[in-house]
Amino acid sequence: MLRAFLIVVFFFLIGETVLCGGAEPKVEAFPSAPYDRHIIYQALVLFWIGIMGLVVIIAMKLREIRRVRKMGIDEEEEDAPFLD
Amino acid sequence: MSCRRLKDWFGERYDTDALGALARLKTVPSHRFDAWYLAGGLTLFLFVFQFITGMALALYYIPHAEHAHKSIIDIVTKLNMGWLFRSLHHWGAQLAILVLFIHVFSTLLLKAYRKPRELVWFTGFVMLAISIFFGLSGYFLLWDERAFAAVRVATGGAGGLPLVGGLIKGFLRGGIDVTGETLTRFYAFHVAILPLVTIVVTGLHILLVQLHGMSVPLSQEEKQGRPEPFFPNLFYKDLIVWLICLGVLVTLAVVFPPEIGRKADPLAPAPENIKPEWYFLFLFQTLKLFPGEMLGMNGETIAITLISAAILFFFLIPIFDRRSAAGRRSPLFTWIGAFYLIYFTVMTIIGFLT
Repeated sequence: MLRAFLIVVFFFLIGETVLCGGAEPKVEAFPSAPYDRHIIYQALVLFWIGIMGLVVIIAMKLREIRRVRKMGIDEEEEDAPFLD
Repeated sequence: MSCRRLKDWFGERYDTDALGALARLKTVPSHRFDAWYLAGGLTLFLFVFQFITGMALALYYIPHAEHAHKSIIDIVTKLNMGWLFRSLHHWGAQLAILVLFIHVFSTLLLKAYRKPRELVWFTGFVMLAISIFFGLSGYFLLWDERAFAAVRVATGGAGGLPLVGGLIKGFLRGGIDVTGETLTRFYAFHVAILPLVTIVVTGLHILLVQLHGMSVPLSQEEKQGRPEPFFPNLFYKDLIVWLICLGVLVTLAVVFPPEIGRKADPLAPAPENIKPEWYFLFLFQTLKLFPGEMLGMNGETIAITLISAAILFFFLIPIFDRRSAAGRRSPLFTWIGAFYLIYFTVMTIIGFLT
């Protein structure tokens, strides 16, 4: 449900820009040269790959913490012998 | 200096271990609706993001009626990555306000405002009001014809308030009409006054949240699981949400960079079919429902008075909702919250489509 809600919000924001855009832009708000555009879109793809990589690593870490916690070995026993 | 030595340096002077122990002690409730806790952290992330991009833009922006518009064109067209910073700041503002609305409505519907968290609600509401004023003042700094007309309508609307309307309008505009004086004032609000107030109110809000802990909905009090530690569990979840939000933000900034219209001309008529920013659409649409004259009084004044009363009621909900404060269910206030949410959403969509 949360995912569906976020998707609706995402498209709402996109639609807002498209519908409320009004007259054609007077100033180029984005580099117009095809090479520059290509570089920017390429960087955007790489940026997303980096984000997804980080998300996967953090999610794996979180899963591991949860697994340890579920097993109940995340807390130190109070009467555990002290090993030097 | 290595990290270890740096850590020792601080450790010898300050009790850093106690801070670490405190972080480990902090827990958050675990239940069916705990995902809504992430909205607060996301709002904070977006606020910090806005501060950073805003500081970069402030280095080049010229707050003068003659040069403001040109300075933004220069930022976008001449500066290296200037277009990206402006676009990120624009979309960051949209998302910050959207997430703040989600945070406020989730707090309202989960009754997280109930005793003893009334002050948390009040400070959160003040932050929402500040953010909206941030949005309006930032939009005006563009000094194009749309922003000019929008501020003329918004400050004119504030002037419709009985008794204090004229005073507020004059204070915001810095004169009778919207002029270069208004730009100076809005710049001061946007870069100095509002950020300072935001830091103070946000600090107080976070402090109160730490003091009271996270609220658990009444329906979940019996069903909640074992509390989760804030660090690292919730922190990692926050991090994931922040990263995805950053990705969405950069994508929006690249794919939909905001336009720059023609320079504002105070003597020119307002452009046709102008609309306010999306977070003002529900107000705009509500004003349209009222006729020019009602019961021998100005319709706009009546509309603005009613809207102000509704906003005041929304602000004071923790005081009116006595059943929640006593730890009992209050379906009436759930319906009231749902009504506010539906009204806001429907009116925004209608305003957006018409």
